[in-house]
Amino acid sequence: MALKADIKILVVDDMSTMRKIIKNMLSQIGFTNISEADDGATAWPMIESAIKEGRPYEFIVSDWNMPQLSGLDLLKNVRATPGLEKLPFLMITAEAEQGNVVIAVKAGVSNFIVKPFSAQVLKEKIDRIFK
Amino acid sequence: MSSDTHFIEFSKPFIDAAKNVFETMVFTKLDTQKPSIKNDTVSRGDISAVLGLSGDIDKNGSKCVYKAMLVISFPYETYFKVASAMLGEAYTSYVPDIHDLGGEIVNMIMGNAKRDLKTMGYTSNMAIPSMVEGKCHSIKYPLGTHVVLIPFESIHGALFMEICYSEAE
Repeated sequence: MALKADIKILVVDDMSTMRKIIKNMLSQIGFTNISEADDGATAWPMIESAIKEGRPYEFIVSDWNMPQLSGLDLLKNVRATPGLEKLPFLMITAEAEQGNVVIAVKAGVSNFIVKPFSAQVLKEKIDRIFK
Repeated sequence: MSSDTHFIEFSKPFIDAAKNVFETMVFTKLDTQKPSIKNDTVSRGDISAVLGLSGDIDKNGSKCVYKAMLVISFPYETYFKVASAMLGEAYTSYVPDIHDLGGEIVNMIMGNAKRDLKTMGYTSNMAIPSMVEGKCHSIKYPLGTHVVLIPFESIHGALFMEICYSEAE
């Protein structure tokens, strides 16, 4: 893979099985440095801490629908933070409606993936983000 | 069109979505078996994922509201094999790691079906999925709904989709 295998990735999803599936797919693609959070509300302090420690996340993969802080609100927080305006952010959603894509693009999402998806589709989306 | 006709067209996107989800995430094809009307509340599987939904139908300027529920029920063996295929680890019991797997599956099916339902004139608001587990457990259907039972066969075993639906002016 062209990308570094150890780029720092954060997977955010309230469903533990989906986090595991995404982590497995990312491992299959070749990534090795993957952390996880069970909600946008859990992810946000992790992202802030990583910045303070000088080792910020380099790629966020987040579900859209989460009970406390949605993927969309997490994305808005990220984009409003100096230094994170261009942090690669892949949004995952179960809803295949065009309206969602428009909302996410307006909020600054890097790419968008609709469940269900294969590891190959995930890789193609990542390749497009980092090309 | 009558409510019964709507029920038939309403069911199709869920069957198509289930096939898509299982092919992509579980790496298996679903073979649809003969559907039937279900007249009892006993689940045909041991683990059920349940998702309620509601919305409006707009057909040629005529509007009404509907309520519905999607259930996917798995015999234990099927659930464990599906979980093993999706998560890449062997599961032989209903451990916490796989409790929300059925909920994620119905979420994906509903999310996919929602797009097709929209083109057919249905708006849909999804509830949060819940799980029910145990031999011969009961499913609580919304009052006044009819239930269609759609069995599937797969390489991981049988599973059952239930769709209940009713509409009001």
